[in-house]
Amino acid sequence: MGKEIIPAAEKSLNLIRGRLCDPSYVFRPLSASSDSNYSKLKFIVSTSITEGCNNSILLLGPRGSGKAAVLDLVVGDLLEEFPDSVSLIRLNGLLHSDDNCAFKEIARQLCMEHHLLFSKMASLDENSQFIVAMLRECGLAHKTIIFVLDEFDMFAQGKQRLLYSLLDAMQSVTSQAVVIGLSSRLDADQLLEKRVRSRFSHRKILFLPPSREEFDGLLEHLLSLPADSSFPNGYVSRFNEKIKNITSDTRFKDILRTLFNANSTVNSLLKFIFRAVSLMNLESGLLSLENFKAALSSMQRQPKLEAVRDCSILELYLLVCMRRLEVKEQSAYNIISVMKEYKTIHDSFQTSDYYAQNVCLRAFEHLRERQVICYTENRGQSQTGEYRPMKLLISASELHQGMRSHACCPAILLKLLDH
Amino acid sequence: MPREESSKATRRSTRSSSSVTVENAEPNESHQPTVDDLTFGDESITVDAVLSNFPGRRSQILDLIRLMGPLDCPTLPVMIYGSASTGKTSVVLQVLRHLSRPFVYSSCRTCYSPRILFESILNQLLLHRKCSSNGYSSAKRCDKPSDFVNLLREALGNVIESLESGSGTSRPDKSDGKPMGKMVYLIFDNVDLIRDWDKGSMILQFLFSLYNVLKMPQLGIILISGLPPDVYYSNMGYTDPLPLYFPEYSEEDLRQIFLRNQANRKLYAAFLDVVLKPFCRVTRRLEELSTTFSSLFRKYCEPLDDLGISPNEDMKRRLYSHLKPLIAPCLNEIFRVSSHPHDGDTRGERRQKASYSSENREELETLDFHMSVSAKFLLIAAFLASRNPATLDASMFDSTGGMDNRKRKRKASEKSMEKKEMAEQEAVMKGPGSFPLERLLAIFQCIASVGDSSFGEEEEEEDEDPTGYDKENNNLMSDILLQVSSLCDANFLIKSGSCPLEGSIRYRSMVSEDLALKAARSLSFPLAKYLYRR
Repeated sequence: MGKEIIPAAEKSLNLIRGRLCDPSYVFRPLSASSDSNYSKLKFIVSTSITEGCNNSILLLGPRGSGKAAVLDLVVGDLLEEFPDSVSLIRLNGLLHSDDNCAFKEIARQLCMEHHLLFSKMASLDENSQFIVAMLRECGLAHKTIIFVLDEFDMFAQGKQRLLYSLLDAMQSVTSQAVVIGLSSRLDADQLLEKRVRSRFSHRKILFLPPSREEFDGLLEHLLSLPADSSFPNGYVSRFNEKIKNITSDTRFKDILRTLFNANSTVNSLLKFIFRAVSLMNLESGLLSLENFKAALSSMQRQPKLEAVRDCSILELYLLVCMRRLEVKEQSAYNIISVMKEYKTIHDSFQTSDYYAQNVCLRAFEHLRERQVICYTENRGQSQTGEYRPMKLLISASELHQGMRSHACCPAILLKLLDH
Repeated sequence: MPREESSKATRRSTRSSSSVTVENAEPNESHQPTVDDLTFGDESITVDAVLSNFPGRRSQILDLIRLMGPLDCPTLPVMIYGSASTGKTSVVLQVLRHLSRPFVYSSCRTCYSPRILFESILNQLLLHRKCSSNGYSSAKRCDKPSDFVNLLREALGNVIESLESGSGTSRPDKSDGKPMGKMVYLIFDNVDLIRDWDKGSMILQFLFSLYNVLKMPQLGIILISGLPPDVYYSNMGYTDPLPLYFPEYSEEDLRQIFLRNQANRKLYAAFLDVVLKPFCRVTRRLEELSTTFSSLFRKYCEPLDDLGISPNEDMKRRLYSHLKPLIAPCLNEIFRVSSHPHDGDTRGERRQKASYSSENREELETLDFHMSVSAKFLLIAAFLASRNPATLDASMFDSTGGMDNRKRKRKASEKSMEKKEMAEQEAVMKGPGSFPLERLLAIFQCIASVGDSSFGEEEEEEDEDPTGYDKENNNLMSDILLQVSSLCDANFLIKSGSCPLEGSIRYRSMVSEDLALKAARSLSFPLAKYLYRR
């Protein structure tokens, strides 16, 4: 690959990839309109800061719809507007679902903000007393503490002690706190206990996938290069021209529609563009429709099909035997019965692929490793070794398709599968 | 990774070395690891070298390089998946060597618990080496994901700062192995093993969302997994990384791989023409094929005096005909690593030749391990006890024995044939039956007396003291309980639950019919007469 790479191409690649990996850049245009989630959230939080009251909100939406990004935008703006009266505490349900961890983390972040010394040896009670005291102090100083709880549904497991203490502390007059929960479970508020739910103000903001026009605007926003002096002039105009051509092409619209039929969140669009942009031809420095097509095909992986295509011929034989046993309505089968079927096939069709038992056992292990077959859960009976019941993890059509696209599948197997 | 290897030092000192004063303290103790050690360590190589080192992986290597992007380009997490021995780990490491970017590698196979995994990553990032001065302890103690995130953020910040200050000086020579750029890459190998850990699903979810939690654009994450990404789908939703698939090698690729590093390529190519196709029908995995091919190649070269010649057509045909009878039995032994030594043990060679000379469809006639006579009888007794229902014992083991006089003469109706089939299937699904110890001993005594009587007939000509014969019988019986426990250890018998009414332990025989037949044949015991066939 000794061809010339335009340095501007690398710079533009860096720029676009940097944009794609930065959620706040991505969501800024989506938040520009006045009835977007961004403005709703900002309104709620800023009123509770200015009026000094407590509030709790839930942000709900599927993964990748931009809840955390919008929240970051709001928080960033608020920290600029009210520099001294806001302090932020972030918790994540994956990390801090245990009460000990959670209280320790809150205390640690409070200490960091207010330049206090944090002791790692503090117990749960000490930490919770400290938090309550801090809430009171901040309330008296008219400082609002914003608690951001990521993966809110993880906090709602167990005894919900953290949620109860936070929401309970907010009931007192002296405290000023806002609790914002983010969750990808749309029924996260149903998971709360009765006493927690009664203290929770049932405000929910739903994050729905954007409309098609918004997506087009987003594409434009992400992919066009700015006309500043760091890029050669002709290059920028050529690049943006190419982008306009591609996005107005009907084939591109078809590609987008296929993508959105599967997953219409913003995150999947970002991954698609990331993949396409990485395939950019660095010699010409321009994107092309082929990049997008290749990106779509790499996103539409079919792992089970690939697993079947990777199988050797003996493993295909065993899969066909299992499928035939299923067709004969044998609901449960184990290795011994599959081997019997294998032997009957060999006897009736005189195939050349008949191998000894230990070879077949190893082939079964390979299939299990690839997660194409597995042992069924047995309740009560402790079977061992070759008598454990197994089942196929792929459907008949996937097996068909995989065998047809296999590099060297013998024709007799396809015939056997159909009968 | 290279640093971890060099920091191994033995803790135990032998008596001789402890008597000598330890003058040479570890030579690498004075070498404190620096940021430069985070790269692969050797000189960087070109793309073409990487591509030629991995035949058949061209598109995957180019894809990976494009996904990682040019220098200092932020990247989304990437997951590389494929089955075993497809070259995932080595390709990733060689690509990072080519790009000379700093990385931190940890494998979930060697770090088998979250604490070890977190501490290993932090040790590498904090440039901490375990040595005797700090008692082989890690830099920080960390076993919870929450602590890990905080410590990781700190450590990454330090590393990136030192990288930024280091990269201020322009380096004309790019291939000296020093790190380039301001990004650090975390590589997690064997991620599929985390599923079997305690709370594995939480840790997997944490790993997948690590990039979003940390929110550091200078971090790149690469996950290597043996399982496809659809096994990681869970109830909590799944932020999927970008997948990159490594398929199994095709036959053409396997041929290229095997031809590398061969002394005589033409000879080996002729060998591969013969064996590659049939063996690829069984398995296409590199590690299994290479062990079989190495032993077969030795056999292939046997008639040749000079291993350096390149064969012509005539010689190829001769070699092929020499190898052909060995291929078929070898296919059936493909996964068995032979324990017979290959150089100089003629006894082993003879046994192998004898086994190869038999038809490949018949099993070996003899058991390939040694068992005493009483153990063999016990094995057969256990097999019979598992296969035959208990109610038939009385008729089976009387002096006339056998099922022959119980054959029904009337033709079986279709309904009874169906019922027979269903009963057969059920029997296969249920597996071998269980029996109490007393039944096993009773059957054993029956068949041992049958066997002994056949032995006794042969030896009648000799002067056999009848009391001596009884003593032998008694000696057999006293060993039995010992034999039962040793058979249990060898997994020929297993204990299955005890009956709540009787309270005695029940056993189950796990012997396959082939093994029982072999044992019976070695004792000249008519097993078929005693087996109950529905």
